Amino acid sequence: MHTHTQTRLRSYSTPLLLSLSLLALTVLAVGLGDKALARAMAEMLIRVTLVVALWIFVGNSGVISFGHAGYMCIGAYMSAWLTLKPTMKALLLPGLPDWLAQAQWPVFPAALAGGTLAAAVGLLSGAAILRLSGIAASIATFAFLAIVNTVYSNWEDVTGATSSVVGLPRYVDAWVALAWSVAAILVASLYANSGSGLALRATREDEVAAQSSGIDMYRHRLLSLVISAFFTGVAGALLGHFIGVLNPDSFYLGLTFIALAMLVVGGIGSLTGAVAGVVVLSVAIEVLVRLEQGFDLGDAHLAIPNGTQEIVIGMAMIVILILRPSGLTGGREWTLSRRLFQTKGRPKQA
Amino acid sequence: MGSVSQLFFDAASLGGIYALAALGIALIFGVMNLVNFAHGEYITFCVFALIIPSTDATAHLLLGRAPAIVLVPAILMVGGGLAVMSEALIFRRLRNATPVTMMIASFALGFVLRYALLAAYGGRPKAISLWPGLNTPVELLGASVPLLQLIVIGITVAILGVLFGLLKHTRLGLEMRAAAENFTMARMLGVKANRVITGAFAISGALAAAVALILVTQTGVADVRMGGPVMLVAFIATVIGGMGSLPGAVAAGFLLGAASVILQAFLPLEARPFRDAFLYSLVIGCLLLRPQGLFALSGAKPRV
Amino acid sequence: MSKLAIHDLTVRYGKLTALDDVSFTVQEGARVFISGPNGAGKSSLLKAIAGVATTAHGRIEMDGDILSGASPEAIARKGLSMVPEGREVFGQLSIEENLLIGTGIRRDKTAIAEDLQDIYSAFPILAERRHASAGALSGGQQQMLVIGRALMTNPKLMMIDEPSLGLAPKIVDQVYDTLVELQALKGLTLLIVEQSSARAARVGGRMILMRGGRIVGDGDAAVIGNEDSLRDAYFGNANHVKEVS
Repeated sequence: MHTHTQTRLRSYSTPLLLSLSLLALTVLAVGLGDKALARAMAEMLIRVTLVVALWIFVGNSGVISFGHAGYMCIGAYMSAWLTLKPTMKALLLPGLPDWLAQAQWPVFPAALAGGTLAAAVGLLSGAAILRLSGIAASIATFAFLAIVNTVYSNWEDVTGATSSVVGLPRYVDAWVALAWSVAAILVASLYANSGSGLALRATREDEVAAQSSGIDMYRHRLLSLVISAFFTGVAGALLGHFIGVLNPDSFYLGLTFIALAMLVVGGIGSLTGAVAGVVVLSVAIEVLVRLEQGFDLGDAHLAIPNGTQEIVIGMAMIVILILRPSGLTGGREWTLSRRLFQTKGRPKQA
Repeated sequence: MGSVSQLFFDAASLGGIYALAALGIALIFGVMNLVNFAHGEYITFCVFALIIPSTDATAHLLLGRAPAIVLVPAILMVGGGLAVMSEALIFRRLRNATPVTMMIASFALGFVLRYALLAAYGGRPKAISLWPGLNTPVELLGASVPLLQLIVIGITVAILGVLFGLLKHTRLGLEMRAAAENFTMARMLGVKANRVITGAFAISGALAAAVALILVTQTGVADVRMGGPVMLVAFIATVIGGMGSLPGAVAAGFLLGAASVILQAFLPLEARPFRDAFLYSLVIGCLLLRPQGLFALSGAKPRV
Repeated sequence: MSKLAIHDLTVRYGKLTALDDVSFTVQEGARVFISGPNGAGKSSLLKAIAGVATTAHGRIEMDGDILSGASPEAIARKGLSMVPEGREVFGQLSIEENLLIGTGIRRDKTAIAEDLQDIYSAFPILAERRHASAGALSGGQQQMLVIGRALMTNPKLMMIDEPSLGLAPKIVDQVYDTLVELQALKGLTLLIVEQSSARAARVGGRMILMRGGRIVGDGDAAVIGNEDSLRDAYFGNANHVKEVS
């Protein structure tokens, strides 16, 4: 067989392997019949969708985005506007335009609409932000997040401001979340192996050199951001319909931090890293949350103080950055081949 | 007339806070290309160092009980010490890492600090009264200005003066400016990397402490969330000031303070809650026109 | 004892080997030119000695002290000063500040003042514009400034990477005249990367010829600069290369 075809096949085996593993995990978690476990699984799969979406931009461009919680917020509220009962909206969100106030869409097109609005905002914000160089662009994404948060926390009539929007249909379970996370993984893999994705990764190592070699970095960054924002918006819709309640502050720094932590721990350089980071940290979070809630040991109720979860994850993130800056996967993809891990076709160094 | 001078005092005092914070960030970026996302938490940490750890609703002063002559240097040392410690424990180990890696690490550090404060003090904002006498208004140029605002402006100018004097006329200052331009070259001339970087962190932390003192006196609350927004504006100031340029950071800090006050005064009432959104959009708009920053020196090499 | 001793020095950038097992020694007070085509490893050699390029293996000694593995500032403090390629003045600092930045390693205040006067009398233009920012100087003036800046550290060994780069021949003459003068005055050992073998021959000294990360010739600059080995170094007929030392 041709080596080229082999490489191709191998890179397509990554999304397959990742999807199958997630499927296996879901079957296991749901099959055990434990409700809490099934919910934890669904939550993890929503995070997979989010972090894979984040990876589409960050992993390929090398530009850190602090703004993705903003796209998530946008997608979540859009889907809520489209699916809430009109009577409810008249009460809670009187400022909605008529067509939105009357809308009563099925959940799936609403999720698509959430993703599409997030993608559109991604296009607009990216058109401005991505003109800046790497670090400055990262700071601008932070400003973008603050803009979204300010708007959604104050637009009383339309978003309910800081009083939560309640009553979202809670249709998202582990299977729905699995379907979307698999879709995100497939698209992420397709994009990464497309001409645009390959060109963008060439700019990751050296912005200046790549640009002087004629790569239109701006265009590729913008394209990846739009795709990324779409799935981020969908992840927002999923989260909203998973919890049933929306609040702008749940799409702010906390979420930004967790998503970035997962990406960094798993390894920014690879799709496998994005998924692995979610799985590893989700398990860690689950354990820590249970410890924070406490457990009974004989007569004593033992619990670790609140906030330990964030502190431990933050420290783990720092330790990994120091000891293994390219994450647990070291920027490698999980592929089908004699060797289990294969370095992805990285741009050759000059 | 009165309202114009009122606006001026508001803008100058708010801009002063932003300028001091931006300076702290630009200083570190200048010497080691680190965008320090923990800077906001340095500010918050210094605020809480004033009070006894507890989750009560009212604050009991700890360091805040000391007379100003002890309190001010002590809190500056707390800020400087915290920053120096974070460098020694974390950033020193990342010195050969990419700016992106360092930035994420600082973000994580900020998060750890924030949740450590949350665990020790609880999430509710606490009323804290430090030097309440300073909020008495005085009449000046037809405006009624709280004494504190004048002091803030005075102190900001004094700090800027001292800092620029330090940079201009001391050995460490000279080494810092050289290192900010070309670290490798400075080291080849015998400039010790550790000394310069530790110095930069110490000054940056002390600046964060100064911001903390001003904020807490002005607002009368201690809140775990108070450092973040200031840091964000300060970041933006460093970007539009031209990354790493100290005079640029100061100028942009004052500019953002002024823009913020003007927006607050002239936006229609129903749009005022969205002030920050307008401000940031304005900034992103500005950057579109001048991606290298408004005050970037023409001869400066791109460092990012 | 030799001033500088290099043993089996190898430097790699990723898969690229920039220096391949290079060994040589330099006597105290010598003037050594390093010449060779682009990519020969001349700059890498200087950077490795100055401690800014990590060495894959090998040992660098100055006055019997091992330099390899030390930080650039520690090496500077041992009396080795480097003038890198492209000059690298601190453009936003004043000329005098540029000259003083390297004096942080010295404790002899009066000698520093005297040295500064020496530099100023060697390069009057610098004295004249001492408070102007260094970025405003012309290329030749900047070259003088960085030589002065390196001298202000009171080095025992000074390395200069391509002092003639981008300068008019007349200016280069001036730069070398001053260098030779200063070397005699301070008892310096000099290691100079110089593309032009004619120039090296005229100034006089020893010449080490490099190609592809290795030393391919070593001898008197006036002799080796005109030999076959030079042509071989540039055009790659390595069979003819003979050791001339």
